[in-house]
Amino acid sequence: MARSIIGARIRERRRSIGVTQSELAHRIGISPSYLNLIESNKRGVGEKLVGRLARELGVRVEDLDGAAERRLLDQLRDVAADPRLSGLGVEDEQAGEVVGRFPGWARAIATLARSERELAAMVRAMSDRLKHDPFLGEAVHRMLTHTAALRSASEILTDVPDLEPAQRERFEAILATESRRLSDVGGALAAYFDRSNTTRVAATPADEIDAVFEANANRFAAIEAAVAGDSPSPAPGATTEDDLVTEAEARAGGAIEAVLDAAADLAGEPARARLRARLVRYAADAIALPDAAFASAARSAGYDLDVIAARLGQPHDRVCRRLTSLAPAPGRPRFGYLATNAAGVVTECFTIPGLAPPRHGEACPLWVNCRAAVTPGRTLRQRALFPTGLGFVFVARARQVGAPGFGSPTVHVTDLLAMDEHDATLTVYAPGRHGDTPAEPVGTSCRICPRDGCLHRVGEMRAGG
Amino acid sequence: MTRSVLLAEDEPHIVESLEFLLGRAGFSVTVVSDGEAAVARAMADTPDVLVLDVMLPGINGFEVLRRLRAEAGTARLPVVMLTAKGQREDRETARRWGADVFIAKPFSNAELVETVSRLAASGTS
Repeated sequence: MARSIIGARIRERRRSIGVTQSELAHRIGISPSYLNLIESNKRGVGEKLVGRLARELGVRVEDLDGAAERRLLDQLRDVAADPRLSGLGVEDEQAGEVVGRFPGWARAIATLARSERELAAMVRAMSDRLKHDPFLGEAVHRMLTHTAALRSASEILTDVPDLEPAQRERFEAILATESRRLSDVGGALAAYFDRSNTTRVAATPADEIDAVFEANANRFAAIEAAVAGDSPSPAPGATTEDDLVTEAEARAGGAIEAVLDAAADLAGEPARARLRARLVRYAADAIALPDAAFASAARSAGYDLDVIAARLGQPHDRVCRRLTSLAPAPGRPRFGYLATNAAGVVTECFTIPGLAPPRHGEACPLWVNCRAAVTPGRTLRQRALFPTGLGFVFVARARQVGAPGFGSPTVHVTDLLAMDEHDATLTVYAPGRHGDTPAEPVGTSCRICPRDGCLHRVGEMRAGG
Repeated sequence: MTRSVLLAEDEPHIVESLEFLLGRAGFSVTVVSDGEAAVARAMADTPDVLVLDVMLPGINGFEVLRRLRAEAGTARLPVVMLTAKGQREDRETARRWGADVFIAKPFSNAELVETVSRLAASGTS
């Protein structure tokens, strides 16, 4: 039992019914000094004694040590552990006292802390939106273009002394026109922010975990080091996935906990548990496909997904994940990876700079993973051109998941490997290597896609487009 | 001998200023306003320097650069990438595709003319 709660609750209840410490101690058959230690949270209380105490105090056992209080206590301890509060002298050890004696205040603190985390998540989401919103991107582009025309013309007017009158007049006209255009962009931006709603965009646990991987460029050197010991990697098929996970936890448990500790701003236990599971799988992947040997095998195969998977006897998704975690090196491409379920929802995301995957629905159906999903087992390539002007090469293949067998439902997950166009030239997927590869215009999500006349648009682009 | 600049830019007022400035600096300037035309012109009559905007109609500046770098005749053509998108990713993309210099708008006239002159004088084309 959480004695740091129960002691305070006993004392609070005893005082509220006007019973002295000695009197209560006498009634339940212990010494007053022992009861004092219990009430001061210096001694634990066994189940039988809690029962006697609850009876004498006229409350239920759960009222003395309820699950809700334990959760509240955990939340207060999370608050106390916040590094931003480290200089304030928060009495961590008194958290139980606060929960027991002042539950209202405890709930208030926990609520504020939760609200603060949600606001931080909202700021991150808004920041993401500012970065990827096509209207804002276009407005900034226009603003810089008009400013460039203004600056160039005004520098000519001030720096060139021998301008002919007609030239002077011409550049002054440019100033007038470009100033007006710049004002128009400013007005459009102001109107956009006026219209722009402030709907809360909550980050999901999956988003948070993807963000941790993104912040680490999809590679955890400490986990790589932890699994890279003397133990050989199991031969393909010689071990089960469960064995691999057990081995991963044994070898990399400490390194995984260190990553979890560093990700202190995860919003809650679900995110933490998910991150832990992803890191354990990362370690399992690293055991199955050790870093240096895998990097060498991948390079010699021209980073051909099917060839690597066949040569190393590993599933495609594992090969994709290991490709995302390769250490940066000259001449080595960087890979992103997405997994989508049969409904087209991105279930896992290892991104690379410039690639904004559609995490929250209305995903662009023109990505090659949508085609691969209906031709399981076939590897398809796409040269994808985004409205931002950035180009990527996508390689997608759908695989069956779940137990095989007649009568079992067939469910597929589609793996999509992504690389920017330049990096693709270092692989077998280089555009032009297997005949002409025309670039296909794609978007991220219909909600923010500026492409006109797309037959596949679902609903209208958000205001401002 | 007059040195030549191919200017691939679709904003008429920026074109007007750059044509004036580069002409005044002694360059003969040819202007194209879309990506396909930039590739065709650079291959047909390779200039001393290409000033290339990223956001062009049709194929964008990165694609123009990619195609030029793939051809022996333009593989080493000095290229100044000009863009209103000063983002890190764009710089990185331009660098990877082999742009010699990346200048973000709004640029300084003096810097641009000095850069073009330097690349033309280096004679690496």
